[in-house]
Amino acid sequence: MKAIEVSSLTKVYAGGTRAVDDISFDVEEGEIFGLLGPNGAGKTTTIKMITTLATPTAGSVKVFGIDTRRAPQQVRQMLGFVPQAISVDGDLTGAENLLIFAKLFFVDREQRKKRIEEALEYFGLADRADDLVKHYSGGMMRRLEIAQALVNRPKLLFLDEPSIGLDPYSKMQVIKQVKDLNQNFGTTIVVTTHDMAEADELCHRLAIMNLGKVAVMGSPRDLKRSVGGDVLTVAVSGKERVAVPEDLGSLVSSENGVMKILTEDGERAIPRITDYLEREGASVESVSLSRPTLDDVLMKYAKTSLQREGTFREARSARRSIARHAR
Amino acid sequence: MNDLQRSVTSAFTIAEMEARKIRHDSTELWMRAIQPALWLLIFGEVFNALRGLTGGYSYIQYIAPGVLAQSVLFVAIFYGITIVWERDVGLLTKLLSTPSPRISVVVGKALAAGVRGIFQGVMIFGLALIIGVNLRLDLLDVLGVFVVVVLFAMCFSSFSMTLASFLKTRDRMMGIGQAITIPLFFGSNAIYPVSLMPPWLQAASRYNPLSYVVDAMRSMLLTGDYSALPIDILALLISTVFFITCASISLKRLIE
Repeated sequence: MKAIEVSSLTKVYAGGTRAVDDISFDVEEGEIFGLLGPNGAGKTTTIKMITTLATPTAGSVKVFGIDTRRAPQQVRQMLGFVPQAISVDGDLTGAENLLIFAKLFFVDREQRKKRIEEALEYFGLADRADDLVKHYSGGMMRRLEIAQALVNRPKLLFLDEPSIGLDPYSKMQVIKQVKDLNQNFGTTIVVTTHDMAEADELCHRLAIMNLGKVAVMGSPRDLKRSVGGDVLTVAVSGKERVAVPEDLGSLVSSENGVMKILTEDGERAIPRITDYLEREGASVESVSLSRPTLDDVLMKYAKTSLQREGTFREARSARRSIARHAR
Repeated sequence: MNDLQRSVTSAFTIAEMEARKIRHDSTELWMRAIQPALWLLIFGEVFNALRGLTGGYSYIQYIAPGVLAQSVLFVAIFYGITIVWERDVGLLTKLLSTPSPRISVVVGKALAAGVRGIFQGVMIFGLALIIGVNLRLDLLDVLGVFVVVVLFAMCFSSFSMTLASFLKTRDRMMGIGQAITIPLFFGSNAIYPVSLMPPWLQAASRYNPLSYVVDAMRSMLLTGDYSALPIDILALLISTVFFITCASISLKRLIE
C-alpha cells in the first residue's frame, strides 16, 4: 500500500503566490522519503497540506488511501508531526508534554503510562522526565519532540528540519534514532532538510522541489549519478602519456603528470587503475577521489531559485528556531 | 468515541495543560490580582467619601462586582495574544496536527480563561472580606457569580482568539486589546451608574456586554433582585457559543 499519494496538488495563497504548483508523487509504505529544496520551494506548504493543516487549492492527497479533505481527523490520527519550530511546551515537564499529547491522540488510559515511560526511556530522557522542558538542552528538546510525535504509534511521521541548530553529536543521535524507528517499527518517514549530507544518509528516496514543482526524484545514488560519475585525480611520473582503456574509465584531462579519470565506481576503480598504470610503466604518486554530492544535485536542479532570496519571514523563523535549539 | 465525546475530552485536556502550567508557576496569577486590588483599595476607598451616587450602597460595595468583571475581562482578552504567541513558537501547529477537533482547542483555552477568572474572583472576594466590604456572600450567590465569571471569560477569550486569527501579530493584539477593554470598561456600569452618563453613552452602554455581566453580578452580590438575571445569562450564553464557533472556524487562518 502507498503511504502517501499526492496528485496534481496545488496551493495558491491569497496574494496569488503559487507556493505549490501541480505536483504529483507517491511515498511507499516503510520508506524514508526526503523533501529537499531551497527556501520557498514549497516543501513546508506541501507537508502542511498532507498533514491537513492547509487546504489544497486543487488536487488531492491520500494518506494510506484516505482522502485528507474527506476525513482530516482520521488522517491526523495516523500521523506524527514534528514541526521545524520548537513544539514542546517549555512550561510543562517532559512527561507532561507526552501525557497531554497522548490524551489529544486518544491513546487508551491503560496504554498511556506504558507508552510514555517507553518513549522517555527510548530517547534517553527518563531521568529528566519531571524537569520543566525550558531547562532542557536543544538536543533533548528535539528528542522529546520526536518522542511526543510517537506516543500515538503513527504509521507516518513527518520531520521538518529535524537536526536544524543541533550540535554534531545531537545531530548524529537524532539521525540514528530516526533510522532505528524506520527499521524497528516500519514507520514511514517524510523528512525535509537543508542538510544534504543528512538527506544522503537518511533517505531511501528523495524529491527535490524548486519554485513549487518537483524538479527531480529518485534514490540519492541515482541522483548523484545523474550529475556525473566519480572523478579520480592521479599524479604519475616516469611516463608522459598513458592511454586509459574504456572499461576502467574515461580520461578527462592529462596535464603535467596529473590525470583526471571519470569512472562509475571510484573506490573500486582505484586499485585497478593503479595496477594498470604501474604495468604500463608509470609510477603512481598520489590518487584522490572526488564524488558528486547531493549538493551538486541540488545546485543542478534547483539553481534558479538559489539566486532568489528567501523571504524575510522564512529567514526569521529559521534563525529563531536555530537560536532556540542552540540554547 | 463519537465526535462530541472527543471534543469534550480534548477540551478538558487542553484546559488541563493550562492548569498544569499555572501549577508550575502561578506568579502571573498573583500579579494579575494587583490591578483589581488597587481599584478597590485606592479608587474604591477614595470615592467611598461620595454618598448618594449609588443608591443605598457604599461606593466600594457598588464597584466590587464591577472590578471583578473588569479583571476577568482583562484576563480573557489576553488569550488572543497567547494564541498568537503559541503560533509563533510552533505549539499551535502541533496542537492542530492532532486528531482532536479544532473546536476543542478553542473551548479548552476558553475553559482555562474561566479558571483564571475564578482565581480573580477568589482574590477579590478575599480582599473584599478583609477590608470589610459588605457583600451577600451566601453559597448559591457566590456559585452564581462564578458561573457568570466562567461564561464571561469563555466568551471574551474566544472573541479575542477570533480577533487574533485575523490580526495575526502580537503587537496588533496588544493594541486592539487596549482599544477594546478601556471603552468597554468606562462605557459600562462597572464603576458608575449608567444614569450619570451623557445620553449618547447611555445608549451605547445598552449594547455593552460588560454592563450585562456587571448587572448580573451586582444582582447576586448586592441587591438580591434576580429579575434581570435570566436575560443577562441567556445573552452571555448566546454570545459565548457564537464566539466559540467563530474562533473554531477562523483559528486555522493563524497557521495557513
